[in-house]
Amino acid sequence: MTEVQVLIVDDSSVMRKIIERALRQSGLDAIVVHEASSGLDGLEVLRQHSVHVILSDINMPSMDGLEFLRQIQSQRLAPGVPVVMITTESSEEHVRQAIQCGARGYIRKPFTAEQVKERVLPLLNID
Amino acid sequence: MGNGQSLRELVHVIADPEHLDASVEEVLRLMLGIQSQRIANEHRGCCRAEQETVTAVVGFGGLLSGACVFRSGSQAAIKLASHMTGMHLAALDDTVKDGIGELCNMLAGAWKGKFPGLSASCGLSVPAVITGCDYNLHVQAPEFRLEHTYSIDETQFTVSIVCDNLQ
Repeated sequence: MTEVQVLIVDDSSVMRKIIERALRQSGLDAIVVHEASSGLDGLEVLRQHSVHVILSDINMPSMDGLEFLRQIQSQRLAPGVPVVMITTESSEEHVRQAIQCGARGYIRKPFTAEQVKERVLPLLNID
Repeated sequence: MGNGQSLRELVHVIADPEHLDASVEEVLRLMLGIQSQRIANEHRGCCRAEQETVTAVVGFGGLLSGACVFRSGSQAAIKLASHMTGMHLAALDDTVKDGIGELCNMLAGAWKGKFPGLSASCGLSVPAVITGCDYNLHVQAPEFRLEHTYSIDETQFTVSIVCDNLQ
């Protein structure tokens, strides 16, 4: 099976580890995780690596998750790669903004591994 | 808010203490896999026996301004961060501080998410974490303040919602 390349963007290193653990608990054992602590770092990772899916926080210093999404689109850094937002912001307005910026999914913190499985796995298009 | 009432008119709903308990229960159950128990004010001994305390603050801005404040002694912080990460953490290091900041962020998000009208119109700041001893956090004339203490594994932590302005 192809290794799934995942980019996790969150300013909290603990949260990045929790998201990685949830992905592995979802049945994605063969994953390679790239980490970034801000949208700005995330763009840099995308310039160097191809990924299958991006999971990003919204509230981050330097560059927030919504601006990160806009930059991915405008710089055409990861065409066709699904982005799922994982954030404490859960209002319909935040979801609408994220979808408008190109997000394909939305997970509210706190979350369960089951929620990560339900929202991320269907978006993966791998051999 | 949806039915035309202002947040100020709904302050009795927003300040309902049960919402804070529900938020703490939800975050600890889903992210840490543990249950905490709220303890009565007369049994609170949070941080008194410990030199070093950890305080995390996440600010609210928008129609409601104020902060969500988490406070505990170092042992409770280490236990909570250990549950969060699934790692055995022994000292109040950067991982613990990061974990407690994120815990406070989720508590703030879960609490404001209980009120649909507030959820969209009130932003959250990035968490700030303070460690040390012999310090106090002052808020002048808050609109309302909720402060509950919870116990886990013989340690305690306190979560406060301080609202200094409602529009």
